[in-house]
Amino acid sequence: MLEPTARLGTDLTIGANRITERTDLALYSVAIPRDGESALADALQTLWNLALPTPKQSTQSANTRALRTAPDALLLILPEEAPVAAKLQGSGYITDQTHGLTVLDVSGPDTPSALERLCPLDLSPEAFPEGATARTLVEQLGTTLLRLGDTHFLLISASSSAESTLHAVETAYHSVA
Amino acid sequence: MTQTNRLQGGQIDHTKTLRFQWNERWLSAHPGDTLASALLANNIRLVGRSFKYHRPRGIFTAGSEEPNALVQIGKGAALDPNTRATTVEMREGLYARSQNHVGPLAWDRMAIADYLHPFLAAGFYYKTFMWPKAFWEKLYEPAIRRAAGLGALSGKPDPDAYDHGYLHADLLIIGAGPAGLAAALTAGRSGLRVILADEDFNMGGRLNAETYEVENQPGATWAEATVTELATLPNIRLSPRTTIFGAYDHGIYGALERNTGKTRQTLWRIYTKHALLTAGATERPIAFGNNDRPGILQASALRTYLNRFAATPGHRIAIFTNNDDGLRTAEDARAKGLEVARIVDTRKGETITDTKGRLGIRSVTLNTGQRIEVDCLAVSGGWSPNVHLTCHHRSRPVWTDAIAAFTPGPNLPQGMAVAGAANGTLTLAATLAEGHAKAAEITETLGKTPKGTAPKASDEPADITPFWHVAESKPRAWVDLQNDVTTKDIRQSHAEGFRSVEHLKRYTTLGMATDQGKTSNTLGLALLAEASGKSIPETGTTIFRPPYTPVPMAAFAGRARAEHFRPTRLTPSHQWAMENGASFTEAGLWLRAEWYAQPGEKGWRDSVDREVIATRQSLGIADVSTLGKIDIQGRDAADFLNRVYSNPFLKLPVGKVRYGLMLREDGFAYDDGTTARMSETHFIMTTTTTNAGLVYRNLEFARQCLWPDLDVHLQSITDAWAQYSIAGPNARALLSEVVDNLDLSNAAFPFMACTECTIFGGTPARLFRISFSGELAYELAVPSRTGDALIRALMEAGKPYDITPYGLEALNVMRIEKGHVTSAELNGQTTSEMAGLGGMVSAKKDAIGIPLTHRPALTTREQIRLVGLRPVGSSATFEAGAHLLAKDAPNNLLHDQGWITSVAHSPTLGHHIGLGYLKRGATRHGEILRAHDPVRGQDVEVEICSPHHYDPEGARQRA
Repeated sequence: MLEPTARLGTDLTIGANRITERTDLALYSVAIPRDGESALADALQTLWNLALPTPKQSTQSANTRALRTAPDALLLILPEEAPVAAKLQGSGYITDQTHGLTVLDVSGPDTPSALERLCPLDLSPEAFPEGATARTLVEQLGTTLLRLGDTHFLLISASSSAESTLHAVETAYHSVA
Repeated sequence: MTQTNRLQGGQIDHTKTLRFQWNERWLSAHPGDTLASALLANNIRLVGRSFKYHRPRGIFTAGSEEPNALVQIGKGAALDPNTRATTVEMREGLYARSQNHVGPLAWDRMAIADYLHPFLAAGFYYKTFMWPKAFWEKLYEPAIRRAAGLGALSGKPDPDAYDHGYLHADLLIIGAGPAGLAAALTAGRSGLRVILADEDFNMGGRLNAETYEVENQPGATWAEATVTELATLPNIRLSPRTTIFGAYDHGIYGALERNTGKTRQTLWRIYTKHALLTAGATERPIAFGNNDRPGILQASALRTYLNRFAATPGHRIAIFTNNDDGLRTAEDARAKGLEVARIVDTRKGETITDTKGRLGIRSVTLNTGQRIEVDCLAVSGGWSPNVHLTCHHRSRPVWTDAIAAFTPGPNLPQGMAVAGAANGTLTLAATLAEGHAKAAEITETLGKTPKGTAPKASDEPADITPFWHVAESKPRAWVDLQNDVTTKDIRQSHAEGFRSVEHLKRYTTLGMATDQGKTSNTLGLALLAEASGKSIPETGTTIFRPPYTPVPMAAFAGRARAEHFRPTRLTPSHQWAMENGASFTEAGLWLRAEWYAQPGEKGWRDSVDREVIATRQSLGIADVSTLGKIDIQGRDAADFLNRVYSNPFLKLPVGKVRYGLMLREDGFAYDDGTTARMSETHFIMTTTTTNAGLVYRNLEFARQCLWPDLDVHLQSITDAWAQYSIAGPNARALLSEVVDNLDLSNAAFPFMACTECTIFGGTPARLFRISFSGELAYELAVPSRTGDALIRALMEAGKPYDITPYGLEALNVMRIEKGHVTSAELNGQTTSEMAGLGGMVSAKKDAIGIPLTHRPALTTREQIRLVGLRPVGSSATFEAGAHLLAKDAPNNLLHDQGWITSVAHSPTLGHHIGLGYLKRGATRHGEILRAHDPVRGQDVEVEICSPHHYDPEGARQRA
């Protein structure tokens, strides 16, 4: 067996903030078959006790989350790799993105200030509350944002440019922390 | 030197002292000072030399409109030229120098230009330096540029950090003077999300500079209390030191914040629902003889220095005014214990015709001939509202007689309102009321209830009778101090036919450079109007464009500098490649290994030749993860592919790969690649590296817009999989050792087969038997985080076969040998027919682009076809880009036969080879033509041959 290596291996503390790469998560893109939304909703409920999220929202149950990333697509975040395709039995088309996406977990009091230097979206708690998600840009790189708490976010972006994303995030934190 | 011109009071901290350097002299200042106020407090009036005539100049304003006091801040790499001394916040250790002089500031050798002024009027350069033509670029322009101009850059990389960011607001208030503060109070108390921005470090605007009262307390005190209250409201963001420099589409504003922390400046993009422009007004000069001397300044600026900064440019003051502000200036000066020698009010028929004092004003001469000794002259020609941002969407301001100035026109940028002096409302109570009212209106528009009332104050007298210039002045009278434009220049421009205001600007340079004519424009227009016998509104204005004040390029660049200029994408084997001598080349954002140099190799050709030969003789490995990979799933996925590829895909069996060609709608070929069928509903498409994004976008468009009824879904998996090409006669032998339980024999896993499998005892993988090199080859893919481990494991397992990593260059050599096309051949101007892929356009189905491939223009293009090229005589070389000409034909386009698209040295064949397009190319193999390359001065004979230089039958890849 070949051993996977973390893309970044980042675990940084900048001021009272922390930036880590999450390699403990498994990410699956789930495409909703045409006319198959209710079947998928049932499957998510049965398998993970998860509600089908509406666009720009996520749902959560225990350690599992579903993010609505497009009208016909979800991103399923599980605490470990699982045979998702087999479990869904055709109610969703699965693409394993565990290695395709790199997840940065950013938290700490300066996080909102750092993110306003990186992302054009309005991330005020009113406009982007806990659980909100969006596909946006972080320093020109396509990124899916998920708010886990007031000052706690996941930044999910393409693995090949993860070093550039990290550099931008680090620099932004250094500007404010 | 002690601060001899320092007064009592003001909004500076007299208890603390800061030290700063001016032209290598240490001086003292106080917190709250600007560089300008500190220089004045130290009795320094001469601070620079003018642009063209090198006239001695002083501080003319107290704000960002400053035309004269441009200085250099910092030294070495951190040097910042052309900085307005009036906006530089004093700090401990500040280093500042004057600029644009040769020798000491007081004895500038370039001041000779001033004595030559009769020859240097507007248009002088245009008329004089016309001959000989070639001298302009080499001699005249460099000489003029050296003599004229502003400060100089250090030429070194800027050591400071700059940032970008994005802000959002219901209401952006631009300017924190009385109108802005009143508006912020109302909007803030009403619960709007407000950004209050001001270019000054101290909010309050003119309230800090005047002696007005608001709510029965000094204006400055009220401003301070208001800012304190606003700071407690969580829905208000106070942005001092922030200039809103541009109004853009959809309520977006550009802002430049001067930071005092780790970053020097931050460029903000502010998204707003509404904006309220409360940017105040700028006081205008009056043109009269020698009106540019140090010690002459705006009357409002004098009040600012006296009241806010407790500094004065002089002790015996004259005031020249056409409005009531002049009288207030006298009151304020007397209150500070200064002597007011004379108030010259044009409304009483009095004017100033001339001044004396080479390095600073010593006296003024009145139209009565009377001469009065003074060391400071305050001038007020009335106020021009700062309408700039209202015009950024091409709105034109309108002339308002009551204040003799332009005020905002009717067509404001969407969501913008204007209040206070910027709107032509020049008196205090009215300004406060208007700020409140506009904010209340916006609050209601946003569905909230406005709270509070307008702050109370009285209106001051503000009568004005327009007066622009003193006609009886004999000496030169300056209009634009920054560009040295005089009244004479404007008259001359008109006399010479440059009568449109836009022509005037370009002929005289009026209103150009860092101040963009903030103090001079209206005066210039008035003079042009007078010369042409028109009214000012008939004369019109030039167009205001962003930025309002200069924005450094460094701020626009932000963090995107040096190697971070743009993001990079790294392949899974990047780290390993760095450890193994790879050099990298950019392919889009990707960094790809171009070759792996080994000790003793003298140049890149040595490495590339070795890599090609090793691959062809035994085994090579290349990282091909950069190819676009798209996961295509759905019940209608096969149908979808059949509609986007020009060749058939409906019946591709599971476990097979097919080469596909995509056409643009206009019938030209645009991308090729392979698509593998993993199951009935699951395909994996590969695209070229460069077109990955384009193909994905086009597929999404087709899926969402052309055929929304199909059940088909796309996911980019380029980054999810590390993919290696394993090529060469020993490829199968190596893979047989690493792939778990899979029969790789030709019968079981033939050319163009594919499968999911495991390798190295359980690692999930995908195996494709495809070949770009023309050898027996496979592409092996694993989840990308395993990619580093895989290359290391394969290099180890491949040792018995002398496995050799090869880079992009060797890959390219091998594909040219094989005659495979890439973007050099499919460049958007070539058809499938031309590239020899005509058979891939199905006659039996419809797909994007097929109908238009039948256009006569495409089918009868002189039968241009892809051909191979080799030199006549094996040592000759040629290069891509050369044109193909008959041996005896003249070298011109009329006789052009074709062009060369790709060239490489083939280590396999021992000579150069190429691919190219040639008229009637399919029938001309064996013909000798010339590769004519006028760019590189080459002309060699080449033989036309098949594009398949190597293994044309494809026996090796099917072995």
